Parts: sequence; C-alpha cells; structure tokens
Amino acid sequence: MERIEPDALTKTTHVNLLLDFYEELLTEKQRIILNFYYRDDFSLGEIAAEFGISRQAVYDNIKRAEQALAAYEQKLRLLARYEQTLRLTEQLKHKIDTLGLQAEQRSELQQLIEQLRTNDIMVGMEAIKDGSI
Amino acid sequence: MAVRIRLKRIGAHKAPFYRVVVSDSRSPRDGRFIEEIGTYNPVAQPAQVSINEEKALKWLQSGAQASDTVRDLLSKAGVMKKFHELKQQK
Repeated sequence: MERIEPDALTKTTHVNLLLDFYEELLTEKQRIILNFYYRDDFSLGEIAAEFGISRQAVYDNIKRAEQALAAYEQKLRLLARYEQTLRLTEQLKHKIDTLGLQAEQRSELQQLIEQLRTNDIMVGMEAIKDGSI
Repeated sequence: MAVRIRLKRIGAHKAPFYRVVVSDSRSPRDGRFIEEIGTYNPVAQPAQVSINEEKALKWLQSGAQASDTVRDLLSKAGVMKKFHELKQQK
C-alpha cells in the first residue's frame, strides 16, 4: 500500500461521486454513457461500437453530461456538503475518543454522529427524488 | 480477442471503491471478468492501492490493453516501469 493520487483517477472518482448524487437528473442516454465510461471504464471506441455511434458523438455526450453534473453541483452543493459532513463527523469521532468516556456513552454518541452523517445526505437525495429541488 | 485491463467501480453509494480487472473487450457490463489483479480505494486517506504485480505484468506482457486510469494506477505503483524494462531486455 502506498500513497497515490494521479489525475485521471481523481477525475474518475470525482465524476463517480457526482453520479451518485445527480444521476437521476440526467437524461437516460447521458446516464447510460457516463456509467459505461466512468463506472466500468470502457473506452470511447468501445462505447461507440456498443451504441453504433461515432467516437466523437460519445465524447460530446460525455462532455455535455459532465457539464450538467457540474452545474447541478454548483447549484445544489450536495457533494461539497457531504464531504464537509464527513470531515466534521470524523473530527467529532476522534474528539470523542480523547474524552475518556465510558464505553456505553461513547457508543451512544457515535451512533448519534452516524445518524447525523447519513441523515444530512438523505435529505438532499430525497428532495431530488420527489422533485422539490 | 482483445483483452482489456479496466478499473471497475464497486463499493457503496457515495463511497467509491475499485477493482482492477482483466476482461474481454466484448464482454458486457454484467460484472463478468477474467481475473482481478488489484484494488484501489480513493476514499481512504491517503488513497490505498494494491496491485498483484506478477499478474499485472503477465497480462501486460501477453498484450492486454490497460485503460488510461489503470495505466495511471500501474505507473504510480511502479508496474509500468517494470513492464518497460522487461520489454527492453528482449
């Protein structure tokens, strides 16, 4: 195991996270193509062959879909908020470990933190699904 | 038959985790693959990579095409360098 953070990988992971949040707001075609490209790592050529369209058309589709995802994130900030919540709840958990609490109190606090973490994100996702955003 | 080395996303919602897999270029996206040669966890701080170097080299030497992301991963893990050195020796 070693430290690693190359560019194509960072981008793939970022887009995959955006997909987790905003997938349902894309068109069916954008969704399918981005899934091929980012979740399954197919090449432009392979996707083109799969759909019987040109490589350029696949590329344009991916670019447009990425722009759509970026636009949703800019407006809704669900991913940024999620990452912030993750950071803060991690800090809280570490802090709790230093307090010398009894096991029961500690696990109760940890459960509450966990609820906070999952809840924050569910609210945003539900709003997208029921159309109120 | 072209053989590809891809980064296949698995893992829970909002927690990406990847397998490095060897698969037939024509195999559909149903999760079937020939062999798993490693994993990549970008969520861990720092990100964690584990590559079975022996298997990776074996596949590269038999002509498997690595995707851009996999090539990135293999370069950083030092596998591409070894692959090129082995090629030079021949």
